Amino acid sequence: MQPILSVHNLNKYYGNQVGCKNMNLTLYPGEVVGVVGESGSGKTTFINSISGNLIPDSGKILIETGNETIDFLEISESLKRLLIRTELAFVHQNPRDGLRLDVSAGGNISERLMSIGQRNYGNIRQTIFKWLDKVEIDKSRVDDFPRTFSGGMLQRLQIAKNLVTSPKIIFMDEPTGGLDVSVQAKILDLLRKLVRELNLSVVIVSHDLAVIRLLADKIIVMKNGEAVESGLCDQVLDDPQHSYTQLLVSSVLQV
Amino acid sequence: MIELNKITKKFTLHNQGKTNILVFNNLNLKINPGEIVALTGPSGVGKSSILKMIYGNYVFQSGQIKINNHNIDHTYPRNIIELRKNIIGYVSQFLRVIPRVPTIEIVMEPLLEINSDQDEVREKAEKILLKLNIDKNLWNLSPLTFSGGEQQRVNVARGLIRNYPCLLLDEPTASLDSVNKDIVLNLINEKKDSGSSIIGIFHDEYSRKYLNAREIDITKISDAK
Repeated sequence: MQPILSVHNLNKYYGNQVGCKNMNLTLYPGEVVGVVGESGSGKTTFINSISGNLIPDSGKILIETGNETIDFLEISESLKRLLIRTELAFVHQNPRDGLRLDVSAGGNISERLMSIGQRNYGNIRQTIFKWLDKVEIDKSRVDDFPRTFSGGMLQRLQIAKNLVTSPKIIFMDEPTGGLDVSVQAKILDLLRKLVRELNLSVVIVSHDLAVIRLLADKIIVMKNGEAVESGLCDQVLDDPQHSYTQLLVSSVLQV
Repeated sequence: MIELNKITKKFTLHNQGKTNILVFNNLNLKINPGEIVALTGPSGVGKSSILKMIYGNYVFQSGQIKINNHNIDHTYPRNIIELRKNIIGYVSQFLRVIPRVPTIEIVMEPLLEINSDQDEVREKAEKILLKLNIDKNLWNLSPLTFSGGEQQRVNVARGLIRNYPCLLLDEPTASLDSVNKDIVLNLINEKKDSGSSIIGIFHDEYSRKYLNAREIDITKISDAK
């Protein structure tokens, strides 16, 4: 099996300041990779640099589409935009960053569909209902504005909006951050189901080790812009080798 | 078949004065198909560590672990993920699940990895839950609110719903009453008869005798003090 996404020696600096340095990642189809570390460790810079939100200074990002290998940093801007709308998806921590608040819930979901050329109203409407159902939002809310939704509903709407075009690689930046724990559990359950059903490949950033343990197959631990340890998720959390990972794991409060 | 050759395992606690704890130095072990090995010895001697090394959960510093001739190699996490999907099953001591997910779905999950027929998988999950005396009324509830014994049986159901060639059992009967203990032990025996290589920790002699297990006293091969 070929990795669907591989990142080699990626660097991103803000002036003299290190954003992330020497980062590598291999993501296989159906796999979830978690990126953890404290605030300021470069997690968000890294996920933004590999998803097209930021332009890294150097490195290589290869995306396998099934027919060809795409060198993500070398392709034209228009092809990149197309990829971002079709094969890739980005779920923001704050759903308000990923949604249009003055467009109805249904309108938000249909945006990506229309951007890839779907025009049949009936078909689009049907797909919208299918996705509302998948993320457990009542059909009757389809024409409501997102601003009338609760935080948990907004996050589920953002997930539906992103997944509607069946992207192959999903990037998520703290998708459960800022949600209360019962809503968080629901989102985690939804994500796990979708990963299995749709064979999604996911890169997820979180400072919450419990969330990563439940979702991720592999993990990258970051500190000061660099990966200090990476590997199989439960192995790194249960038998951490690096002193920083040991500190991180032993700092988690037990409930 | 599970083989451990010349395994060295130590823990280095960087933040606690760089303390080194040597657990095994030159550990050798072999579990044949259709055989059950029971690890014995007091707590802290390294029984769980052995299971965790085989499952890829703990790293080891030198030596070789082979599962049906596949190496456990941490430089290729993907391979360990594949082994877990297809070859190694693990019944842990404690249930770790996403809150609010119904019991039936938790039990179905490992089988859905290889079989996408929801109805067929559901039927199998129902069968094993019935066998393990989990009341039908509980199937649509999260097991997090269940009693210790019920949680353990859900965990067992999840681990034994599939037929893994290699099976690791960490005290699967510890908090069960005698009736349910026998049910679980019978299930394990069925796996053995179907040719699984099984290694486990069973604290009571009754279970070990019931399973006709080959006992290995870890105190004799462990370096943990």
